[in-house]
Amino acid sequence: MKAILFAAAAATALALAACGGGEPATPVEPTPAADAAPVTPEPVAVAAAPTGPVAMPEPTDIAAYMKARHENYEMLGKNMKVLQDNFKSETPDMAAATAAAVNVKAFADAMGAWFPAGTGPDSGIESEAKANIWTDRATFDAALTKLQAESVKLVAATDAAAFKAQFPPTGGSCKNCHDTFREEKKDQ
Amino acid sequence: MNAPTPSRQKVWDIPTRLVHWGLVICIGLSWWAVENKRMDIHYWSGLVVLGLLAFRIYWGFAGPETARFASFIKGPRAVFGYVGKLFRPDYRASFGHNPLGALSVMALLLAVAVQVGLGLFASDTSYVSSGPLSNLVDYETSEDITDLHEDFFNVLLIVIGLHLAAIVFYLVVKRINLVSPMISGSRKAENVEGPPTGIAPISWVRLGIGVVLAAGVVWLIAR
Repeated sequence: MKAILFAAAAATALALAACGGGEPATPVEPTPAADAAPVTPEPVAVAAAPTGPVAMPEPTDIAAYMKARHENYEMLGKNMKVLQDNFKSETPDMAAATAAAVNVKAFADAMGAWFPAGTGPDSGIESEAKANIWTDRATFDAALTKLQAESVKLVAATDAAAFKAQFPPTGGSCKNCHDTFREEKKDQ
Repeated sequence: MNAPTPSRQKVWDIPTRLVHWGLVICIGLSWWAVENKRMDIHYWSGLVVLGLLAFRIYWGFAGPETARFASFIKGPRAVFGYVGKLFRPDYRASFGHNPLGALSVMALLLAVAVQVGLGLFASDTSYVSSGPLSNLVDYETSEDITDLHEDFFNVLLIVIGLHLAAIVFYLVVKRINLVSPMISGSRKAENVEGPPTGIAPISWVRLGIGVVLAAGVVWLIAR
């Protein structure tokens, strides 16, 4: 019986460590409120809020252009992270989510112009952009149109329930394009 | 008393075998799912791995003799002693994990724990799916953890490879089939250590506590 008590204690400790250990680090969740009514979340300035797209340079310096494009996608990822964290939260910070949604829409509207000729794998520069972006442009543009449509709906989804319903199809439209046009990271 | 000597020695209880084959299936399924862009399956399969692991850790304290860490984890002296007698004519198979194999078991459990632990905080590039705790870390950390989760799979494969190599070694060199007892639970009771009948029946209460604990750990993390 001693062993079983010890094991139970150990497993409970494991469970508590896994759960309780992380709580204070939660960036978006305010103190859990029992009621489901939207509460004004305390502004927790863990990191600066991500921005919209940065203007792309002229594609004269291909390497610099591709780097700027990569950084823009990183920033888009940070906005998606804010949205996803709020999507997972029981009390999403809708001000932060809507700001990020507005940014995502700005990315969706801008990125169609980010793939001029010569900035793909033929540049010889390491990139996750696949050659079919340039050879199958119609499909690429259709995928982009889908993202634009979903991001418009996401911006409009200003209450928590609508936001939670609209976030998955928005992410789905990212995946829809990535599955076809984005190279999987290769093992070094 | 002339009771007939039992011809089979029970070495692995049903929960231990289920955990073993459950890990085989779920690790394989997780790999298949990620290769086929089925992150929904990967997510649930990973959570099952987490539950199996939590149960196995508990069972390492509450399970029958051959499942208990305290009974099979031995010091360097026992490990070297075991290696020394491996090729002696009076070699007898260990009851459950041998002292060298115990190191492999711990390496496997640790590697699976690291891999599943990293997965909890990982995230895919499309933000369609992510580990259940990815919201506790920032963008860069989640990205780094995702890379580690991908890379560490190779470490897991190496440990699994060693495990499989050992099984082949025992089968070919020692003529001992280790796979069959992991399926049936028992082995021929000749040239073996431990009690001839093997492990005692498991306690249903202890099993029930373990199942609740494992499910609780998964629920706390995934809710």
